[in-house]
Amino acid sequence: MRTDPVTLQIIANHIRAAAEGMAYTLYRTAHSTFVKETEDFTIQVLDATGKTTATPMDLGATWYPGVDYGEAIAYIPEMKPGDVCACSDPYSGYLSTHAPDLHVWRPVFHEGEIVAFTSGHIHNTDVGGAVPASLSRALTDVQQEGIRLPPVRLVKEGTIDPELLAVLLTNVRVPEQNLGDLKALLGATATGERRIRGMIERFGITRFKDGLADLMDYAEAQARSVLASIPDGDYEFTDYCDEDLPGGEPVRLALKLSIRGDSAILDFTGTDPQVAASLNVPTGGRERHTLVLVGVYYVLFTLNKGITLNYGLTRPFTCIMPEGTVVNPVWPAAVGMRSLTCARLRSLVFGAFCRAAPERMPAAPAGSSSIVNVMTSDDRTGRRLIAAINPIVGGGGGMPHRDGTDGSGADAAYLKNSPIEITEAEVPIRILKYGLAMDTGGAGETRGGTATELMFTVANPGSMVTARNRDRCRFRPWGTLGGQPGIGSTFTLNPGGNRQRELGNVDTVKLDPGDVLRIVSPGGGGRGDPFTRDPSHVLADVRAGYVSAAAAAREYGVAVVDDAVDQTATATLREGHTPHEGLYAFGPERLAHEAVWTQAVYAEMGRAMEAAPLHWRAFLKKALFEAMGSEVVEDPVAKLRAALAVLAERHPALAKVAATA
Amino acid sequence: MAWRIGVDIGGTFTDLCAAEEETGTVRTLKVLSRPDAPGADVALAIAELSRVHGVDLGEVIRFTHGTTVGVNTIIQRRGAKLALFATDGFTDVLELARLRMPDAYSLFGERAAPLVTKDCALPIGGRMLANGQELEPIDRASVAAAVRAAQAKGCAGVVICLLHAWRNPAHEIAVAALVAELAPELFVFRSTEIWPAIREYERSSTAVLNGYVHPRVSLYLERLEAALAEAGVPARPLITRSNGGVMAARQGKRDCVGMLLSGTACGVMGAAFVAAEAGVRHAATLDVGGTSADVALLRDGQAQFAAGENVGGFPLFVPSVAVSSIGAGGGSIASVDAFGMLKVGPDSAGSTPGPACYGRGGTQATLTDAFAVRGVLGHGALGYGAVKPDMASARAAVGAIAGKLGLGIEETAEAIAAVAVSAMYLEFSKMFARNAVDLDDLTLIAFGGAGPMVGCQVARELGVSRVLVPRSPGVVCALGGLVAEIRNDMVRTVMLPLEDESLAPMREGWAALAAASEVWLAEVGEPGAAGLLQYSADMRYRGQSYEIEVPVTDMSLAALAEGFHTQHRAVFDHADPAAPVEVVNLRVAIRAGAQKVTSPTLAPASGPPPSEPIRIFLDGAWQEVKLYQRDALRLGHEIAGPAVVAQEDTTLLLPTGSHATVQAQGHLMVEL
Repeated sequence: MRTDPVTLQIIANHIRAAAEGMAYTLYRTAHSTFVKETEDFTIQVLDATGKTTATPMDLGATWYPGVDYGEAIAYIPEMKPGDVCACSDPYSGYLSTHAPDLHVWRPVFHEGEIVAFTSGHIHNTDVGGAVPASLSRALTDVQQEGIRLPPVRLVKEGTIDPELLAVLLTNVRVPEQNLGDLKALLGATATGERRIRGMIERFGITRFKDGLADLMDYAEAQARSVLASIPDGDYEFTDYCDEDLPGGEPVRLALKLSIRGDSAILDFTGTDPQVAASLNVPTGGRERHTLVLVGVYYVLFTLNKGITLNYGLTRPFTCIMPEGTVVNPVWPAAVGMRSLTCARLRSLVFGAFCRAAPERMPAAPAGSSSIVNVMTSDDRTGRRLIAAINPIVGGGGGMPHRDGTDGSGADAAYLKNSPIEITEAEVPIRILKYGLAMDTGGAGETRGGTATELMFTVANPGSMVTARNRDRCRFRPWGTLGGQPGIGSTFTLNPGGNRQRELGNVDTVKLDPGDVLRIVSPGGGGRGDPFTRDPSHVLADVRAGYVSAAAAAREYGVAVVDDAVDQTATATLREGHTPHEGLYAFGPERLAHEAVWTQAVYAEMGRAMEAAPLHWRAFLKKALFEAMGSEVVEDPVAKLRAALAVLAERHPALAKVAATA
Repeated sequence: MAWRIGVDIGGTFTDLCAAEEETGTVRTLKVLSRPDAPGADVALAIAELSRVHGVDLGEVIRFTHGTTVGVNTIIQRRGAKLALFATDGFTDVLELARLRMPDAYSLFGERAAPLVTKDCALPIGGRMLANGQELEPIDRASVAAAVRAAQAKGCAGVVICLLHAWRNPAHEIAVAALVAELAPELFVFRSTEIWPAIREYERSSTAVLNGYVHPRVSLYLERLEAALAEAGVPARPLITRSNGGVMAARQGKRDCVGMLLSGTACGVMGAAFVAAEAGVRHAATLDVGGTSADVALLRDGQAQFAAGENVGGFPLFVPSVAVSSIGAGGGSIASVDAFGMLKVGPDSAGSTPGPACYGRGGTQATLTDAFAVRGVLGHGALGYGAVKPDMASARAAVGAIAGKLGLGIEETAEAIAAVAVSAMYLEFSKMFARNAVDLDDLTLIAFGGAGPMVGCQVARELGVSRVLVPRSPGVVCALGGLVAEIRNDMVRTVMLPLEDESLAPMREGWAALAAASEVWLAEVGEPGAAGLLQYSADMRYRGQSYEIEVPVTDMSLAALAEGFHTQHRAVFDHADPAAPVEVVNLRVAIRAGAQKVTSPTLAPASGPPPSEPIRIFLDGAWQEVKLYQRDALRLGHEIAGPAVVAQEDTTLLLPTGSHATVQAQGHLMVEL
């Protein structure tokens, strides 16, 4: 270290103060409710090469403490004092990860040299494109997802480029809101620039530069010490998104986490090809792309609460993401809804670390946070009205030391809900239930957090409800160490009546007066054998309504009779119980899928994919899923090879596919 | 001689302030608290005040009291077992809260467990709509079932919070009547009698806090009244409130949430009083105690208010003086992590065992020990003679850290102070950014036991050039209670568009609140206190999910709109005069009985202040500086830093290059 540990701690506090000050300024001056309420923004202080040295912890999204702006910065050489650059194109520099995210960076000069940048991003509610709010799973090309800025000099020596701004604002649906938020972001980075200048004055340029470098080394050392505390080994894990497009096939995400000493490789080979819907995660295959490392930040912070959040955390990690896969799509694949896949990527990382250090890790969190919006008309004014009702978040996974948090927590802890009273006062809908759902958390020695349930009815005909980011209807949040998986999510129209209809992962539904819509999130996975859970805790769960008496008997082997534990009956129930074998419990849906789609079948499909041209891969996957069906056969690999042979014959472009078989 | 007395009970010390009516002379005293003897402790403290300062308790015409009994009940989770009666389908309101949890990066993040367990959150059938119309009447059978369940579970009381009671409380009133009929032994609070504003979680949380502390607070206040009567105090006790004002102790037995944050609020009000005497308009207050530092803003001399202040992890939605709490105090523990980095806090040695230099068994180096090692502390007793500094223990504790850092003991002590100051800087700068504070013309007011020790360094880091140190930094809270006005806030949610047709119902609403405020004031029972009514409205642009409070003096449409746009620009830097505006809440505050207290004026200086040379470790070296005794300072005395000013409740460190002037009332103004 170049800096003494006392000065370094003081510099750490000052640089955090600069980042927090920027975030509060942005939050205070932003216009849109999106930035204000969902806090979908980030702030960074970057070093001269564009790597994050500090990020706020009070406000904002949790995705970018290790973001590297370097590649985007390189697009615009020779920045001048007062310049600010911006970028929103997911394929230019792999900084912005979908079109609504506008990133900006502002250089801080000292004696003619750039010594740092202040930066950040906001999620614009709308940036034009095919659908309002610019995001839809059904979009297929990035061109449909709104206007995209490649890295550009948006502010030139203190003045926003009026022509560029006009182009930007002409292409969006609510221009004044985007402009208001942009100004707030520019103001925040200007605040940051002043703070950094103050720091340089306070500490001197050499100590400032050394301090930033040492803070990254410090974070790296902390991350390495966490890795060193985990046994060396190769830890494989797979998880699935339910659908690769509306009504489609599962998306398999595969990871091999290889820990050697204080370093790790995250190899995503085996992950499905890029999909035709907007679920792709644009990383450019960059070996430390922040989007695939979000799960890693959570793991590091969970295992060492004192960890410093900056780019240094990412240095011990190297990611391998083959081109053309859902984690490294090729232009112009649509990427708007990559947040759905990102949630699954986080559980993928949690799962791999769970194999590496099961005694220290929780079971899977619910892992699907869908935001429910309604578009209806206001009877008083006749105007169209769009309102967010609530995010529907499930509970955390069972932890080594306590139950998963109910209805929130883990990697969805940053979301806020809206008061029912405000929603009903503003929007012509009536909410029938908003609460925790019984028997939804995975059973375990520590129970998975319960799901959230929302049920409502609309007053006016033709009301459109959207529920973005729906997943985990099929593949459940897994349990660990004998714990059971949490329940899958459900989306039901008119529950209980003869007009009941299960909507699965549908994300848009039209309602008329009298229709009732119910959405239940997934529940968190359980951890540890539930038959070893203290019966008094099971009784408390039954009393509180987290668990029914029937489930207490079935899942926990605890007989609750007349508000008490029946000891004799419990002993009988627990006698001869065989705990679930294996580290994970995935639930019947995944077992059924993997009975057809075995590891060997996936490996064979992977080989075929490599031999197929990029733009044929989504088609090939669909065709193979059709061929395989859901029937369990003795030699599924042979069945797949047969299907490949047929396809190769029928489509000359796929000729090589068969050759590999 | 008639006296007014303010008594503030804290975890370690009980602070007393007494003002003599004719001369305005203020006397102060600090005694050790007696948490083992609630109620009796006040009697003991005022007996001591009478003995030391000759205060005739039979001549006390006003008695104000601040207590932590409510907030301690929550923090220690020793409150009443409660049932929550909520609208069927929404009984998980406390479990879900507003979803967002602290510690967003941790998979192990957690929220404080609700004060009502889920099994005691019971459904009530019946539904009110947002427009105040009844969709379904109250299901009496569901109420009876809930009452039976509450009784079976051994609940002591019931809190009722039903959907849309902010618009129409009829259902809550009906349920309360039924409970009283079915189970008269249960105490009952309706959410709308506590704070009838829209947002069900916030209203439930506030009402539950109230019910949770009610039995203990009520019992405490009864004992207090009895103890004062026995001591022959004729004045009926007033209780300090979170809003910086006071109310009758009798009112506090039901309005318990009103006093939860009175301790920090009184500190800010006391600082505001000192600021006025010192001629300071804009200030940030820094009240550093053993375990935490409380930070607040004064704008134009006025404390700032907020709703949603945090009490033990639960939001409290009654207007409170806005105070941010930082986990850094004199007891904050220094440590070195596995990578050699020096950390100070968040762990604290608290008051037991306290810093190593207290000689009560503490062995870990604290911020206070760092100042002791540097020779800044230890020139007299600490904490009003309650503690005799143990220098050897302080050196041993700091020495352990020094060994890990590879630095000398004194260098380490200075480093501990510098790191602690930078942590306070971080928290201050967040608060400044959140509130868009302009550093020009800002003064830092440093008080509390450890505030003056670190105040000048914190100010320098912030770029603030003046520090005000009150005459008695240790009893600012008690002073705040002594000078406090009677104050109450009332709210009514209207949710109306800001347009002509809304004006009549708004004026009607304000008039009703004003009338209710007058009734409240009469209940306080302070003779001759005429009420000053202040009107305001919480407004927002349609579509926003948060509102801002706008003072109202002119109830015309144009003035209301203008007031809102101006305020919005001041708070958020932008406004949109063309956008539709919505009025969420109407508010009325009533204030009465402002106290005229003048601190005694010091005699003018005749010659330089007496001092003695001491050696302290500052700026990396031992230096000889002057030690002044605060009691010996006179009006106009000037002190150049580096220097140390000692007094019975705190020690002020004046850094190199600073310059302090003694003001008429004895406050010290330091220029940095």
